[in-house]
Amino acid sequence: MNPDPVPAAARALIGVRKVRRCEVTRRDILRFAQAIGATDPLHFDEAYARGTRYGTIVAPPLFCQTLTYEDAPPGRLPPDGSPLEIAVPIPAQRAVGGGSDYVVHRLVRAGETITVTTELKDIVVKHGRSGLLYLVVVETRFDDAGGAPVACETATYIKRM
Amino acid sequence: MPLSSTDWERLSLPAPIPELVVRPTTTQLFMFSAATWNRHHVHYDKDAALAEGLPGVVVHRALLGNFLARLLTEWVGDPGAVAELSWKVSQSALPGRDLHCDGEVVALEGVGAERRARCELRIRDADGRDIASGQALLRVG
Repeated sequence: MNPDPVPAAARALIGVRKVRRCEVTRRDILRFAQAIGATDPLHFDEAYARGTRYGTIVAPPLFCQTLTYEDAPPGRLPPDGSPLEIAVPIPAQRAVGGGSDYVVHRLVRAGETITVTTELKDIVVKHGRSGLLYLVVVETRFDDAGGAPVACETATYIKRM
Repeated sequence: MPLSSTDWERLSLPAPIPELVVRPTTTQLFMFSAATWNRHHVHYDKDAALAEGLPGVVVHRALLGNFLARLLTEWVGDPGAVAELSWKVSQSALPGRDLHCDGEVVALEGVGAERRARCELRIRDADGRDIASGQALLRVG
């Protein structure tokens, strides 16, 4: 049998959870809307939003992506600045985004505190044209102050030597 | 006006979703990096991106997903319409070039509050090459 190409130290991180709490401001929502090119006044115009079924400003559906990455200072990041969430001890450093499964339970409102739970779900090894590819799968759950789910994203990153 | 439940039930399937064309700029990539606190250098440092074998600074996986979300919400007229969105990047996308986002509604499923429209989605570059493919479930009505 071939040895597992995923080192034991990396496998040991699968299932480990990290929890943070983040407050969401109107400005966070406005900036995210601007960054994705969304122009719906629901994301920034309180008077307009009051007249809709939402009753207040709501964020675009994938807004919780703003809460995904840990607020670490530069010195704690890998040299390439790639997310700490995929900094696992595997013989591969170059990373690109692969794909994502995103579930939206409801839209985030300004003033909410969201609990962010990050968990490394899996490390899958594939044989690519230029050697081994490591698919690093990270789940990020976003829950509201009452513990109800707001969103959940399962993102896959591809890491190579 | 958002699509009503009657509008949904009258759709002849597969129903095309009107195309959304976006042209992300390096400024937009920078803004998205900042908004999501994504500090990965392949999104802002061209030399570093080239050294990693990429064709230049590349559009974020997550931003491509937001283009698909905009394709859906701007068509339906409601940012709350998206219940689930999945996408896979097949090729790096570069700033300064058009991205064509489109798709179709392929099925209506579930009943009552769980009624959903299943969609197949894609992003292609100006030369018709696949950048990403996706699926979505939209809340209906």
